[in-house]
Amino acid sequence: MKSTFLWRNRVLLAGGILLILSLHLISTGVHPGDLAAAPESAFLEVISPVTGAFTHLSDGSSSIVRDYVDLLHVRDENAQLRNELARVKSDQARLAELEVENQHLGELLELRDALGSKAVAANVIGSDATGISRTLVLSSGTDDGLRPGMAVLANQGVVGKIIAVSPNASRVLMIDDHNSALDGFDQRTRARGIVAGLVDDGVILKYADRSQDIRAGDTIVTSGLDGIFPRGLLVGTIQSVHREGPGLFLGVKITPAVDFRQLEQVLILTQPPPILDDQATKD
Amino acid sequence: MRLILLFAIFVVLGLAFESAGARIVSVRALIPNLIIILVVDLGLRHHGVLPAILAFAMGYATDAIAGSHPGLNAFMMTAVFLVSYEISTRLMVTSAGVGATVVFFAVIATALGTVAIANGFNSLSGTGPMLPGLTLQAFITAIIAPIIFSMLALSKRLTGLPDGSGRDSRGRER
Repeated sequence: MKSTFLWRNRVLLAGGILLILSLHLISTGVHPGDLAAAPESAFLEVISPVTGAFTHLSDGSSSIVRDYVDLLHVRDENAQLRNELARVKSDQARLAELEVENQHLGELLELRDALGSKAVAANVIGSDATGISRTLVLSSGTDDGLRPGMAVLANQGVVGKIIAVSPNASRVLMIDDHNSALDGFDQRTRARGIVAGLVDDGVILKYADRSQDIRAGDTIVTSGLDGIFPRGLLVGTIQSVHREGPGLFLGVKITPAVDFRQLEQVLILTQPPPILDDQATKD
Repeated sequence: MRLILLFAIFVVLGLAFESAGARIVSVRALIPNLIIILVVDLGLRHHGVLPAILAFAMGYATDAIAGSHPGLNAFMMTAVFLVSYEISTRLMVTSAGVGATVVFFAVIATALGTVAIANGFNSLSGTGPMLPGLTLQAFITAIIAPIIFSMLALSKRLTGLPDGSGRDSRGRER
């Protein structure tokens, strides 16, 4: 048995089969309800609480370090006072954090009211584990009514869309990911294009007509034509426009309105926007 | 079963650390790719079909929390496992230094491979600005790889698992 070709090369053969299976998953994609979606959802469900715990732990650790540095300056105080001071500082930090969180949630509520659409708020508990893609992990999932394809917003503007969900967690593909694309237009000139991310960080407006008068400083908003984002949401401002060289389109770089690193709470639109036709963006 | 449980715990902790760390540390390159270290350890020290499936599962678990194409990390981790396995079958000794070297190149290769498969091979021409950060991440991952290998070896000893190269004293596969 052990001398047969299959047995001697079992690892390579198994690896080959697994590589083919991976390629099959990549090419066909994993859709909600698929057999292949179940383990992915289960992994997300298992990992997200641990990720949340790590995030809380790191926040707590930095608070402890700050408290310790403060205590070094009050050596002459007795242990009771130092403990008291640490406790008060910890409470203060927690209250300040709650205040900031309340402010963010309040702003998100205002945004939800302004949009007039059904929406839920969620905490950001993690980022893309590999760093090659630009994704976020949220603390809400299907139990809160989230589904893949829903729009994710911050009070500053568009964040991205949901690509995977589990009962209590979900993942967001941000607009600066190289696989992201959304329909947008220049608010001043009404020139349309596709807002897409780049591999090496950054966001561009693709397929913007060369004849359009697009300038640095112009505002880019969503067109509503993609059926995901409502029309008129802020995407960013134009950083630079390149007209040099041949080609049909302009080279337009965008500075996103949202600082993705500072995101703590986001708003997810659980109701799809009304479907617009191409004419609507010209009005 | 013990091997699966041990690696499952390491994978959950590793992915949680990477995901939470990426939110806290502003320079993403400073966060090591812990999953690649685990896969390289599997490839170098555990020869069999089960470790190959484990490597694939670790990649698929990574897909659950990273990337936009399910199956991409599973593909990359299986490939890293096979390369590590092939290296270990051709070397007399698979020390931590060899493991760290494999980890260094695996981090760079998987990142570039991910971009190439997701966006087409033409997109590799746009990866120039990525390379300094990627090299730094690969270097940091390689530096801490021997520590993770030691932690894995200790955990395997504690759970009664063999932590050898998967070969007997004459270099034959077990």
